[in-house]
Amino acid sequence: MTAVSSATSYAPTRYPAQLFGGWEFGILFFMAILYIAGFIINPDFFGSSDAVSAILRDTARFGVMAVGMTFVIVNKELDLSVGSILGLVATIFSIAYSPNHFDLGIGWSVFAGVITGLAVGLINGFLVTRLKVPAFIATLTMLFIGRGLVLGLTGGKTIAFDTKAVGDRAFFILGETNAFGFNTQILIFLAVAVIGMFALAKTRTGYETYAVGGNEQASGYAGIPTRWIRMRSYLISSLTASIAGLMIVAQDKGITSQYGQGAELIVIAAVIVGGASIAGGRGRVLGAVLGSALVVLIDKVLREGFPITRIIDVGDEQIVVQAYAQLPGGAVQAFLGVILLIAVLLEPWAIKGGGVARLWAKVKGESVPPPPDRGEAAIVGAQTKGARTDASGMGAKGLKAFLARRDAAAIMLAVALWLIGFWLRPDFWGSLDNSFSLLLAFTEIALVSIGLTFVLANGDVDLSVGSIIAFSGATVGFLMKEMSVDPLTAIAVAMVAGTLCGVVNGYLTVGFGLPAFVSTLGMFYIARGFGAWLVAGRQLSGFSENFNLIGRNLYEVLTYYGTAPEPGLLMAIAKAVSVQTIFLGVIAIIAGIALAKTSIGQMVYAVGGNERAARYSGINTKAVRFWSLVFSAICASAAGVIYVAYLRSFNPSAGSLRELDGIASVIIGGGSIFGGYGTIIGSLAGAAAITLIRSVLSLQILMPDGTSFVMPQHWMNVFIGLILIGAVIGDIWIRQENIIRRVFDRLRGSGDHS
Amino acid sequence: MTTPIIEMRGIQKHFGAVHALRNVNFSLMPGEILGLVGDNSAGKSTLMKVMTGAYQRDDGDVLFKGASTQFRSPQESRDVGIEMIYQDFALCGNMDVGQNIFLGRWPRKYGLFVDREKMYAEASTVLKRLKVDVNSVFQKVESLSGGRQQSVAIARAISFNPRVVIFDEPTANLSVMATERLLETMAELKKQGVAQVIISHRLTDIFEVGDRVMVLKRGENVGERYVKHTNEREVLELIVSGTPETALSADEALKRAA
Repeated sequence: MTAVSSATSYAPTRYPAQLFGGWEFGILFFMAILYIAGFIINPDFFGSSDAVSAILRDTARFGVMAVGMTFVIVNKELDLSVGSILGLVATIFSIAYSPNHFDLGIGWSVFAGVITGLAVGLINGFLVTRLKVPAFIATLTMLFIGRGLVLGLTGGKTIAFDTKAVGDRAFFILGETNAFGFNTQILIFLAVAVIGMFALAKTRTGYETYAVGGNEQASGYAGIPTRWIRMRSYLISSLTASIAGLMIVAQDKGITSQYGQGAELIVIAAVIVGGASIAGGRGRVLGAVLGSALVVLIDKVLREGFPITRIIDVGDEQIVVQAYAQLPGGAVQAFLGVILLIAVLLEPWAIKGGGVARLWAKVKGESVPPPPDRGEAAIVGAQTKGARTDASGMGAKGLKAFLARRDAAAIMLAVALWLIGFWLRPDFWGSLDNSFSLLLAFTEIALVSIGLTFVLANGDVDLSVGSIIAFSGATVGFLMKEMSVDPLTAIAVAMVAGTLCGVVNGYLTVGFGLPAFVSTLGMFYIARGFGAWLVAGRQLSGFSENFNLIGRNLYEVLTYYGTAPEPGLLMAIAKAVSVQTIFLGVIAIIAGIALAKTSIGQMVYAVGGNERAARYSGINTKAVRFWSLVFSAICASAAGVIYVAYLRSFNPSAGSLRELDGIASVIIGGGSIFGGYGTIIGSLAGAAAITLIRSVLSLQILMPDGTSFVMPQHWMNVFIGLILIGAVIGDIWIRQENIIRRVFDRLRGSGDHS
Repeated sequence: MTTPIIEMRGIQKHFGAVHALRNVNFSLMPGEILGLVGDNSAGKSTLMKVMTGAYQRDDGDVLFKGASTQFRSPQESRDVGIEMIYQDFALCGNMDVGQNIFLGRWPRKYGLFVDREKMYAEASTVLKRLKVDVNSVFQKVESLSGGRQQSVAIARAISFNPRVVIFDEPTANLSVMATERLLETMAELKKQGVAQVIISHRLTDIFEVGDRVMVLKRGENVGERYVKHTNEREVLELIVSGTPETALSADEALKRAA
C-alpha cells in the first residue's frame, strides 16, 4: 500500500502523485508506442495532423459510451446493448427527421431518439434488477432485438438527409469541424467525461455505485437503494449511447443499418483496458477515457493498411502496382476480442495484486514484496439459489407426473406449434419436404443445445457457440476450396479448430477463474472474426459432392451409392431422414445417457447446484466445467460442418443468433440459467419448439382474399430475442420462485407469510 | 423502574408451515448487555430481524422507548438508533475504511460532492474512540484481517451514536486477542449507556460482559437469568431441557433463589 498516512491525518492528497506509475500512465505510454508504430507502418496517414483529429473524433463517440459503461461495470453489471442503442437512436432520429419519412423538426427528432435510447436502458434495468434476468443474457438479447429493429425499420437501406440538414446548423455543427479547427464531438466528449469523472469520484452517486458493485448485500443493509442504483447505471449507459448515436448522425447526416455494430466490444474493452474490474467495484472514468483512446487507436492501426508495391504479371508484361495491404475486417474484431480478454486477465494481477510493483522490484533485483492479502470475508456474500424442491411431482402418476416435469412445457409447446403450423398451411406442413427441412433446421439448433445443456447445468454459459459454428464452417470451406484438402481431413481439422476454441473457453473460465460469460464473450468475437478472416468475408461454395452428402437425406445418399430403395414406406422415411439427423440422434443418445444415467451427469448437476459443496466432496469441479465447455464447442463445430454440407456453401453470417437459440432451447426445456437443471430430452424438445417457432414465423400465409403474407426476415431477430427473454423470465419466476403457486396460495388465503 | 429502550410482546412469526417464533417476549434496558442464547434454529436471529424490521412480524408489538413501532426495513430502525452488526460484517471490500464507516451516509458538501475531509476526520475519531489500530482510514477493507474488518463494522455501527447495538455471532470467527478487544469495546459502549444484544454460542463471552441472559428454544422463551446469579451449568440446562411452562423471568428466578 502506498501513501499510508497515520489514522490522525486529515484530507488525503493521493491521486495526482499516484497517477504516474499507475495504470493510466501505462495506457498513455502504450498509446505513444502504438502511435509511433503506426507512424512507421503508414507515415502517410499517421504523420498527418488529420490522423490525430480523426482518431480523436472517433474516440469521442466511443469515449462518451465508455463513460456510461464505467458506471455499469463498476456496478458489477454489463451492458452489451450499447452498440444497438447507438444504431437504434440514430435510426429513430433519422426516420423522424428524414424528409422521406416523418419529416419532423430537429427538436422532436432528437427527443424521439433519446427517449428510445432511454427506453432500452429502462428495459435492460427492469429485466436485470426487477425480473432478475442475468445481465449478459438480458443485454445480449437487447443487442439482437435492437439490431433487428434497426434492420426492420430501415429495411436494410440507408437514409440520408444532407439537404434538410443545412437548415439546422445549430445541431449538425455538433458533428462537424468547428471554427477552432477541431471536431465539436471532442468538446462533447470532454464535457461528458468531466461530468462522469466528478460524478463517479466525488459525489454520493459515485460512492453508491462503488458500494453496490463491491458488496450489494452490505449496501442494502446500509440503506442504499441497490436496485435503483443498478437501474440507474443502465439508464446512464443508455443515455451516453444515445448521445453517441446523435453525434454520429450529426456527423454523417444519414445512417446505414450497420451503425454501432460491434461498438459494445470496443466500449467494454476500453473500460476494462482503462482499469475497471469485470468483478465490479473498481474502475475510474479517467481510465475508461484513456482506454477508449487506446482501443480506438489499436482499431485504427489495425484497420489502416500500409502501402506496398505489388508486381503483377499481365501477359508478358510486369506492372508495378501501388496497393494497400490491409487486414480483413474480421481480423480486427478477433484482435479486439483478444485485447478484451487480456485486459480482463491483467486487471486483477496488476491493480488488485500490485503485479507491476512486484515485477519492477524483480527487475531491479530488490526483494519482491509479497502479493497483498485479500481478506475475502467481506467480499464473499452468502449465495443461495432460489430453487424450490419439486414436491408436486412426488408420487404423482400419469398426467400429473408429466406436468410436474421441468421439460413438460417444452414438449407441449413443440406439439402445439406443430399443430399451429398444420392449421396455417395444411397443404404443405405435413409434406415430406417440409418435414425434411424442419429436421435439418432442427439439427443445428439441437446439436448446439445438447452441448449447452451440460454447460448451463454447470452454472456456466457459452455465448460463443454461434461463432464457433461460423469458425468451423469457414475452416472446412476454406480448406476444401482454397487448399484443395480432401473432405475427411478438412472435417477433422475444422473439428479440431472448433474444439480448440472450447479449450480456450474452458482454460480461461476454469484456469483463470473468469466468469464464463466473459471468456465466451471474448470467444464470441474472436471465433467469428477468425472465421471472417479465413474466408476474407466472401461466400464459398462448390464443394465435392461426397462432402455435401453429410447434409443430404438418406434417399439421395443411397442413390449416390446406387442402392436407392423401392418406392414405399422405406423410401418415405429415407427421404425425410438425413445423415445429419442420424448423427444428431447418436450424439443425443450418448449425451442423454451420460447426463441422466452416469456419474458424469451427477457431477454436472452437483457442480451447478453448489460448486463449493461439490468441490468439498471430492468432485473435480474444474475438470467438469472445463470438459463441458469443450463438449459444447465440439457440438458447435459439428453443427458448423453440417451447416456447410447442407447449404453446399459457406456464408460468413453462419451461426449468428445460434447462441440465443441454443440457450433458449435449454431453458425452455427445463434448464436454468443459474445451473443445476436441464435434461437432454428437454433441450431437444426446446430445440424443436424454437425450430418450429422459426418456421411458423417464416411461413407464407395464404390470406382469405388470395394474397399471401410473409414476415420479413429482419424481424426474426426481434422475435427470437423476445422468446429467449420470455423463457428466462418464465424459468426464474415460474420454476424457481414458483410464483404461480404463491398466487394460488394467496387467493386461497392459506398462510404463506414470508 | 425506567422504561425499556426496546420491548417486544407476544411476537409470532411463521415461515410457511414453520412456526419460527411463538409468543416471544423480550425487553432491553438502556445500558444493559443481554446475551441471547439457544440451540440452532431456536429463533435468535429471527427475533432480532423482526426487531430491526428485516422480517415483518405476524403478530405482537415492538415498542421503542415505550412507543409502538412498525419498522418496515432495517433502514428505518437504523434511523432511530438500532444498529445490527452482521455475522459476515457486510462491508464493501473495494472501498476504504472511511468510506465503509459512512456506507450509504456519506457526508455532503455543496449539496453535490462527498465531503472527504469531514468523512475521514470523523472516521478517525470513531476509530480512536474504539481504540482500534487500523493503520489508516484510507486502507482498503479487503486488505484487513478478519478482526479488523469487524472493528470497521463495529465502528460503522457506533459512529452515529446508536441507542441499541445487536451483535450477531460476533466472536465466531475472531482470534482470542480480537475477542478480548471486542469485549472491552462492549464494556466501553455500556459505560456510554448503549444497550447491547449478543447472539452467541459462547457462554463464556456472555458471562464475561453480559448482565442478563435470555434462552430461546424452538421459537419459545424458556427462561431468563441475571448473569451475576447464575452459572454456565444452569444456562446450559435451560438450553437443553427448558420448557415454556417452567420459564421464569430473571426477576422471578432471583426471587425464588432468595
